[in-house]
Amino acid sequence: MGGKPQSILKNRCSRTRGRAAAGVLDVPDHSSCLEMPLRYRRTTAGVFSALLAVTLAVTAQPAQAHGQLATTTAELTVEPNQVQGLTVVQGDGYATLAWSPVDGATDYQIERTAVAADGTTGTPVIVGVWRPNRQVNNSEPTFADAGFVPGNRFQWRVRARFGTEAQPYSAAVTDTTRSHWGDPAVPGQNLRTQWETALGAQYTSDVNEYAYTAAIDELSERVRVVEIGRTIQNRPINMFVIGYPTPPATPEAVAATNPLLVNCNVHGNEPGDREACFIMARQLAFTDDPATLDRLSKSTMLILPTINGDGRAANSRGNSTGQDLNRDYSLIRQPETQAFVEMVRDYRPIASYDGHEYGNTNTGDLPMLPPRHQNVAQGIFDGSQDMIEGHMYTQGAKDGWWACPYGCTGANVGLGEETILRNTLGLKNVINSLLELRSSGGPTRPDEGNTANNRRRKTYSALWTFQQFLTYHTANLGDITSARAEAITFQSANTGRIVFRGSRPIEAYPAPHPGDTPPPLDAPREDQILDQPPCAYKLTEEQYHGARTDGPSGRQTTVAQRLAAHGWKVIKVADGYLVPLSQPERGLVPLLLDGQAAEGLVAGERIAPTLTGTHNGPLTVSGVACLAGATVRGPIRVQPGGTLIVNGSSINGPVDASGAAGFVLTASTVSGPVNATGSRGPVVLVGNKVSGPVNVVNSAGDAALVAGNTVNGPLNCTGNSATPVNLEVANSVSGPKFQQCARL
Amino acid sequence: MIDTLPLTATPARRATTLAGAALAVLIAAAGCTGPDSARDGGTPAVAPRAVSVTGSLCDQLPADGEPGSPDSLVGQPADQALGWIPVLTTFEAAVRATGLAEELTPTADVTILAPTDDAFAAKFSRSHLDELLLHDTDTLRGLLRDHLVSGALPVAELVSAGTVTTLAGTDLAVTAHGDGARLDVRGDGDHADAHAETVCADYRAAGARIHVINQVLGTLPTTAGDEDDHPAH
Repeated sequence: MGGKPQSILKNRCSRTRGRAAAGVLDVPDHSSCLEMPLRYRRTTAGVFSALLAVTLAVTAQPAQAHGQLATTTAELTVEPNQVQGLTVVQGDGYATLAWSPVDGATDYQIERTAVAADGTTGTPVIVGVWRPNRQVNNSEPTFADAGFVPGNRFQWRVRARFGTEAQPYSAAVTDTTRSHWGDPAVPGQNLRTQWETALGAQYTSDVNEYAYTAAIDELSERVRVVEIGRTIQNRPINMFVIGYPTPPATPEAVAATNPLLVNCNVHGNEPGDREACFIMARQLAFTDDPATLDRLSKSTMLILPTINGDGRAANSRGNSTGQDLNRDYSLIRQPETQAFVEMVRDYRPIASYDGHEYGNTNTGDLPMLPPRHQNVAQGIFDGSQDMIEGHMYTQGAKDGWWACPYGCTGANVGLGEETILRNTLGLKNVINSLLELRSSGGPTRPDEGNTANNRRRKTYSALWTFQQFLTYHTANLGDITSARAEAITFQSANTGRIVFRGSRPIEAYPAPHPGDTPPPLDAPREDQILDQPPCAYKLTEEQYHGARTDGPSGRQTTVAQRLAAHGWKVIKVADGYLVPLSQPERGLVPLLLDGQAAEGLVAGERIAPTLTGTHNGPLTVSGVACLAGATVRGPIRVQPGGTLIVNGSSINGPVDASGAAGFVLTASTVSGPVNATGSRGPVVLVGNKVSGPVNVVNSAGDAALVAGNTVNGPLNCTGNSATPVNLEVANSVSGPKFQQCARL
Repeated sequence: MIDTLPLTATPARRATTLAGAALAVLIAAAGCTGPDSARDGGTPAVAPRAVSVTGSLCDQLPADGEPGSPDSLVGQPADQALGWIPVLTTFEAAVRATGLAEELTPTADVTILAPTDDAFAAKFSRSHLDELLLHDTDTLRGLLRDHLVSGALPVAELVSAGTVTTLAGTDLAVTAHGDGARLDVRGDGDHADAHAETVCADYRAAGARIHVINQVLGTLPTTAGDEDDHPAH
């Protein structure tokens, strides 16, 4: 991981977003970079000045700079339209070529020639075609050449073309590429996957995966491998938990570090990302690179190489039943997706990438897409777009990888299905992106008829993406956690319409970058919109606990089990089970429980608010009360067995619940104390302003959620059967925080 | 074998100590790039046989000295050898899914006409392929048997024979095509015009010849050709 590619001789357009550069450099833009749209940025961009960037780079790596000079000044005669200033910088499994643009060029061809140990050269091959839609700044063309056998030595040349008319080649640059990562003499670093050993002729089998995984687990203190579940055919589903100097010991402790997640291989016949995950796990486990270790000290990386082990072994898209698991992350009919969702519930990643391969030959190297479902909180969508367009497009332009929006050739893909992980995770308040690896070389990588070349390009482009993801994540932890906190608070407030299916629009990225054909609009139809959200859904005993027929034979799960896997709050009431919308995954609740849902789980009964206006005087709750946008001038008392759900209301008086079946208070203002004593079911307090003490004591149910509240007074939690949690959304408490709430 | 899972060997517990042999295959060895596939020969005094494969695709497949080179597959069981030819992932998975490996043992020499992944993708939609691999393995087995011929026949012998019969009973007319062969399904049924050409012929494995071909033979209908060929993420 050490030695990120850096341009030395050229005034590279180091467009670093302001907040990413915070604390490093934040200087006005005097460079000649093309102005790039910064639509999703929330802070003003700061850009390295070209001069400063060059100075810094040379200071940092003088040896490399000298090497570059030696190779690029070899040939001094200049022909008309000849490419000048060609440089090469090595990455992990790729080589970044950069050159000065030629006026009038319509594209460029990249030629690679093998150089043997004795200096003899092989047959030159055109391995790449650079086109203007490849990167966001055409003034600094780059191309990540990949597919070669790592460690081999090559010579590269680049030439411009005017239409079909080829111009003279540049002077050649020669360099040795990086070998498979890791010193063969250093234990741990010397591990290799089956895919690496076979030079891409074979993928890493399940058996080899387990041995490799166990070896990393055993040899690295930074890595703990946990089995999060088993496939239908009983293959273990392992996850690398990686931190520095050691990963936190429990899921709850990991969650407190704002972890990031890579899901590597959901479709068994799309294994390219999985191989990258194995290599990255080894790098993180054994690297000495201080920057990487610093990142691992700030967060925890979760790498899930094989969620679909049965499909990988069978080379099928689906799992062993044929179910496409990426159409099952909301419904979780399958053991694999259930294990995944439970892991998300327990480890609480706040950012994620989901790896795939894509059969469209005309797309970019790395199609990406954010969670678009309209129920996803705006900040999660914006943050995901910032990661993709703000970071990946910019870094891709530096390193030569062509990241682009999924569906950029007009294919009707990338929509709002909540069954797809991209959307499911967005609805779970996770900033995330789809990652596709273009299956074939396509017109821009003409040397991939060789299957091994093709596989290597795909895997090393995925490795680049995941490395960039880690970099982005730790550099933007503050913004990501803020967006997540806002999203959790927003969802818990249960405000605004519900959309059953339909996506946010994604504008075309300004030409020449692809986006001339952006992802399809996918706006919701009128009949897919519910303007007045219910307060909760009520399920009957049969709906909640009844046997189901969906899911693999002998392994079917009930609605109760699935909602528990999602981590949802459910209130047992006299005639059934209430699922309040005012909880962190509110956007997903109706998509499973409403009769109007596109792919629902069960048609629950919509429970409308019972009070939306003003109530003067005391309010006593014995059954179920739901206040939405209400004003109560007087105290509220919830009697034992009663349920109170309050969203966006104002209460002038104490709120006192004793032995409540459920107590949910969100986005509300309370003048007076709030007491939840001896609750039998869920306790949810999110995003409230309370003038007075808050007490959560002796609750019998699952952990109370106490998050994002402003409490003018003390916060006291004692005697609860489970320690209350805040999902890393801090409360602002003017008084002391006692006992079980001391760290909330 | 990829499809056998040692459930007792649960990975990922720090307490477990890796067996030396298991670890050894994982460790990079300087100067040695591939697995030790030569050991199947077992006769160190004999120089490796130079296997000559022919066809337009051969240049794109593992070459001399690389893992999966034609020489390295001589003496390997046929199903193992298939796993080293990188364009045969679908065919290889199909062999495992159907348990056909037993018919590919050296006790009964066999010629394997193995369609490439591209050929399978051009023949079957993705969901149909999943259906064959996961559920309809009887049909898939029948399809594979239409790609097997008794006897380990070099491509030149296939051509000189003029006609061969697959294990499924289909007659194939064989004619020379460049250095390789063209195979035409004989008969007057719906599939009378089905044909394939060898694109890299004359791989040798234990008791087997493997000829990589560019079309799927057999009698199953073509289902490729719509959006399901490349389903969205």
